[in-house]
Amino acid sequence: MRVTHSLLLKAAGALLALTTAAAAQDYPAKPVRIIVPFPPGAINDFVGRTVATHLSNRLGKQVVVENRAGAGGVVGTELVVNAPNDGHTLLVVSLAATVNPWLYKLPYDQSKAFAPIAVVATAPNVIAVHPDVPAKTAKDLIALAKKQPGKLQYASSGIGTFLHLGPELFKTMAGVDILHIPYKGAAPAMVDVIGGRAQMVAASIPSTLAHLRSGKLRAIGIGATKRNGLLPDVPTISESGLPGYEAANWIGIVAPAGTPAPIVAKLHKEISLMQETPEVQKQFTNQGADIMRMSSAEFAKFIASETAKWGRVVKEAGIKAQ
Amino acid sequence: MDLFNNLIFGFSEALSLQNLLYCFIGVLVGTLIGVLPGIGPLGTIAILLPITYGVPPVAAMIMLAGIYYGAQYGGSTTAILVNLPGETSAVVTCIDGHQMAQQGRAGPALAIAAIGSFFAGTVGTLLIALFGPPLADVALKFGAPEYFSLMLMGLVAAAVLAQGDMVKSIAMVVMGLLLGIIGTDVNSGVQRFSFGFFELTDGIGFIVVAVGVFAIGEIVSNLGEAQERRVLANKVSHLFPTLQDLKKSWGPILRGTGIGCFFGVLPGTGPSIASFSSYMLEKKVAKNPDEFGRGAIQGVAGPEAANNADAQCKFIPMLTLGLPASGVMALMLGALTIQGIQPGPQVMTQKPELFWGLIASMWIGNLLLVVLNLPLIGLWVKLLQVPYRLLFPAIMAFSAIGVFSVNNSAFEIHLTALFGVLGFIWMRLGFPLAPMLLGFVLGPMMEEYLRRAMLMSGGDPSVFITRPISLAFIIATILILVVMVAPSVRKQREAFTD
Repeated sequence: MRVTHSLLLKAAGALLALTTAAAAQDYPAKPVRIIVPFPPGAINDFVGRTVATHLSNRLGKQVVVENRAGAGGVVGTELVVNAPNDGHTLLVVSLAATVNPWLYKLPYDQSKAFAPIAVVATAPNVIAVHPDVPAKTAKDLIALAKKQPGKLQYASSGIGTFLHLGPELFKTMAGVDILHIPYKGAAPAMVDVIGGRAQMVAASIPSTLAHLRSGKLRAIGIGATKRNGLLPDVPTISESGLPGYEAANWIGIVAPAGTPAPIVAKLHKEISLMQETPEVQKQFTNQGADIMRMSSAEFAKFIASETAKWGRVVKEAGIKAQ
Repeated sequence: MDLFNNLIFGFSEALSLQNLLYCFIGVLVGTLIGVLPGIGPLGTIAILLPITYGVPPVAAMIMLAGIYYGAQYGGSTTAILVNLPGETSAVVTCIDGHQMAQQGRAGPALAIAAIGSFFAGTVGTLLIALFGPPLADVALKFGAPEYFSLMLMGLVAAAVLAQGDMVKSIAMVVMGLLLGIIGTDVNSGVQRFSFGFFELTDGIGFIVVAVGVFAIGEIVSNLGEAQERRVLANKVSHLFPTLQDLKKSWGPILRGTGIGCFFGVLPGTGPSIASFSSYMLEKKVAKNPDEFGRGAIQGVAGPEAANNADAQCKFIPMLTLGLPASGVMALMLGALTIQGIQPGPQVMTQKPELFWGLIASMWIGNLLLVVLNLPLIGLWVKLLQVPYRLLFPAIMAFSAIGVFSVNNSAFEIHLTALFGVLGFIWMRLGFPLAPMLLGFVLGPMMEEYLRRAMLMSGGDPSVFITRPISLAFIIATILILVVMVAPSVRKQREAFTD
């Protein structure tokens, strides 16, 4: 009796393993959609397209990118959360997703909505000032801001954006007061900092690079733990006078919650392979980004810790959820 | 000579094969829709906006501009041959142009319209090249207070100078402002009028409003009007005007160009004001005013030059200050934003190929139009026979695809349909649509600049009058308002309405 029992159990186990393995083997059964919840052109879109190209070549089915912009990424995210969790609809997530729960009353519970697959890359900000600002390092900048509280102004691309939260983190960590001037988008914000109407900006490296090279802006430091390949001469903010400051956008791929584990594992493996190709690494360097690697489980924990970190910043900055 | 260097640079840009092609497409489409009554440049540019996504910025702007001034040409063809203004600006051309056609002089009428337009276009192009850079230099000093005051002036002028019922114009400006504030407040992140729709948190798309109101609304509204189309095409025999025709015309063309340029830079005045003013002037200065209304060639030459000069000069405030002076310019501004270009004076220094390329392309486009229009008149006339039951559904479908392609959003198609209905209702009730679009575009910008100016000044409103450029705009705004209240001006305005 006991033998049959254990046999039965084993058989059942084998059957289960077979069906899930079959799920991964049959996957993908049809074209896969990767939803980018932002307009074409920025880093999220770039990651989505790079992953899509790689997966198309490897999985034998078309993988297409669809841009569904709106509400800081909520529109596209909601679409994926409500899609069938069979691995045929994926989402590009980024730092913005960890901020949205603090900005909006979301139509989904974000802590339970995703099956994280893999983080792909990280892209730090660079804090830059108008050349007339006397500060050369983060230490100078903090001293200057302490001397004249609320006098310095920084431009952002709007409430709750990366360009807003990076400086807010800087302010809370350094204990200084710098006035926030929001704009609609990064381009007009940059124009006013170059024109000297605001003094400081903390934007992505590709959007700042040309102005740094032409001397219209001066770099204070990079919001990462190590220096960036595009700006090797610029120190990190930590080196420059505010130890521990880290404000880096990160971009990864998730599926809707409940997506079978073998499919998640298969996609994770493919994205890891992609991250190892030198060509892809070079493409990311050109975008001011670095490859970032962790397991799916670590990625899930990372999303949770980032959500907590930026939640604190949002609260400190006095932004209320709508 | 900086001017010549710049123009040569512009021509080298505009004469690239790609840009030349887009210029050709633009003026071709422009002539086409100009010839066809019922669909105007506003609607067409709105429909084509989504397509410009995939096109480089210079080519996109060249094409859209081509549609705009091409329509001014096309409109006169229909006016002369069918006594039906293809565009509102050609209303005046009907009077003497169609008379000439009935007397068998359709050819010279068409030719003089084209020559007048070409001359005016050339002058307009030169003016932009001449006045653009100094204006932009001044504008580079603009901060938030200056922009706010400038836009306030633009908006007030648009409401005051628009044709038709003033109360209705102002109501439509306010309607535009209200539509413009839908979405997330820039300074606090608060949701305004989004009613829980996440699709509305970024505001209503510019393309949605433009296509809904101008393309769909206009078409539906046109379906309600039966149009008689009697074509006098068979009477186009000899094309060239006689020496006497040319002698009579050069004065009106010069004066018309001047009038058109003057009205062109004023916000809110459509090309019909320019052409109407030119017609009145020609009638006044003519030796035999009795000829007017019976086929006087001056009555074609002057207004045609005026409306084209006006169309061209509307680009001056748009390109140098980022201030749209008309509905079409608001659309052009939208096209720039779609391309990721922040409109304003910095366009000229950061994107010189766009500014100078566009200017040069306008002259090339005008030349193309002369070449295109005169020999092909027979073809254009044939187009008038395409039944609307084929044309309109095609335009509708094309609009829907265009709107969807911007954000892959079905929500926006529904919204476009809603604006189509609203546009139809507004049109039927005689509410002008251009002021609404100006309010929609300028309102959110004005609010942003106002609040940024206040934020930067620490809440002190005196920045608007202590900074000299801003003060100048505020004074101008007050002057415009005073002039509007003056009884004599009001009477004239009412006269225009009829």
